[in-house]
Amino acid sequence: MLKPGFLSTIQDYGRMNHGIHGMSQSGVMDEHAFCWANHLLENDFNDAVLEITFGGVELEALNDMVISVCGADLNFKINGQSAPIWHSVKVNQGDVLSWTLPKHGIRAYLAVKSGFKTPVLFGSRSVNLRENIGLKLTENDILNCESSSLKLDHFVAPQYIPNYNQDIVLRLLPSYQYAEFSEAQRALFFNQSYQITNANDRTGCRLDGAPIALEQKKMISEGVSYGSVEIATNGLPIILLKDAPTIGGYPKIGTVFSLDLAKLAQKQPNTKVKFELMDIHQAQKERLKFNRFFGPD
Amino acid sequence: MHKIILAGESSILIYFGDKIDARLPKNIANFANALKTEFSELIIDLTPAYTSLLVSYDLGKTNYLKFAADVEHLLNGFDFSSVVEQSELIHIPVYYGFETGLDLERLLAEKNLTIEAFIEIHSSQEYLVHAIGFSPVFAFLAEVDSRIQVPRLATPRIKIPAGSVGIADSQTAVYPTDSSGGWNIIGRTLLDLSLNNPDNLSKFNTGDRIKFYPITRDEYIKYGGVL
Repeated sequence: MLKPGFLSTIQDYGRMNHGIHGMSQSGVMDEHAFCWANHLLENDFNDAVLEITFGGVELEALNDMVISVCGADLNFKINGQSAPIWHSVKVNQGDVLSWTLPKHGIRAYLAVKSGFKTPVLFGSRSVNLRENIGLKLTENDILNCESSSLKLDHFVAPQYIPNYNQDIVLRLLPSYQYAEFSEAQRALFFNQSYQITNANDRTGCRLDGAPIALEQKKMISEGVSYGSVEIATNGLPIILLKDAPTIGGYPKIGTVFSLDLAKLAQKQPNTKVKFELMDIHQAQKERLKFNRFFGPD
Repeated sequence: MHKIILAGESSILIYFGDKIDARLPKNIANFANALKTEFSELIIDLTPAYTSLLVSYDLGKTNYLKFAADVEHLLNGFDFSSVVEQSELIHIPVYYGFETGLDLERLLAEKNLTIEAFIEIHSSQEYLVHAIGFSPVFAFLAEVDSRIQVPRLATPRIKIPAGSVGIADSQTAVYPTDSSGGWNIIGRTLLDLSLNNPDNLSKFNTGDRIKFYPITRDEYIKYGGVL
């Protein structure tokens, strides 16, 4: 690691079964780009990758290896020359890989053959800075990985590469306290465009817009799912993301479909998002199709 | 009384009651164990809290309607009174003093109590673990005696030292690591509850009982406590 940039952490799919101990799921913010990065290298679905946020990163290859970079276009270069993303790439010992600035999207995923071999902590390699699990990468860190080669080039067909500049609609499952919000409150929620604020990190994404008036009623804290949309005391939504606490006491109007959260993970502050209702059966069908393509299912 | 609702694309939430009740954490823990035994292939994660249990399941092996029906069936046949497993009692030493209890002096004045009386009230009873959350190993304990209940600080502190014992309304808790937070701090334990010792992850479970006991400043320092 020559330059660690703004925020670079090792992530895998996440720490899936520690909610009972109050431990966040953690894991990659953009599951779509992560899955492609591993898939291009014929990796295991859950192999650990480097999640690079915004850029400012420089790495030197200490082995000959094959890599892939998927997700945001952060002006990826090898030895100062533009290099392809959504594509397997051969890298030689001594090559310098760099990501400077976000051109499209904000999070890039660097995969190496068989994944980065950082320590497995509580069943996952995912770093969670809020919980002090694992470390943010710093200058001169060495990330262990195998020397590798790949017989054929692999790349993602253009129709599967998202356009991160497009406005997004987040599809929402009518979960938790959905039914307890009045028709007028729901109408206000679904009919407006919200703005992503600067308070947008791996824990959650706070939105700005016209607040929903809430009666101040006290809720008993309960387990929250990835993508739950809390309506905070000020009437504005907070979308709970990978590093969020496991329980929360704000009412939740619904839960965003995970593959739409992958798109949200690439959005800059001040861009707009809207919500629309989604049926659980449709969500499960779409997610299962995704899992069957990329994963062990 | 129970109710199952949708929580996420591969999770449901089960309510076991609609208000905080000292019987619920153990009932929920018992039902969670039954679920794990009955559907070990399907269940990914379980998050119990106060009155509810969040259950996430493997979408590759079941679906919402089928899984919710399976859980409903198990709930209907579940005899909550049949499981009389004794819950664990965990003792936690605390140095209650003005150096460690950042809010203690103010609380004594507000509640018109001597420090001895305050310590006696906080440490004489058993508390029940109602939920784990906020951060790993952070256990929400209730119910605090009404004489020493106090609302959260209006402005949370940026840094509360690891081991600090706090009160927020009817609940008390120990901060396992240095963190920000708005609870009223009344003392500190010298137990290391951080994940530097990975075994601490399962130190507390919902349904466990906790008892604090006061130690002197000298004892606190002798056994490695930091001021």
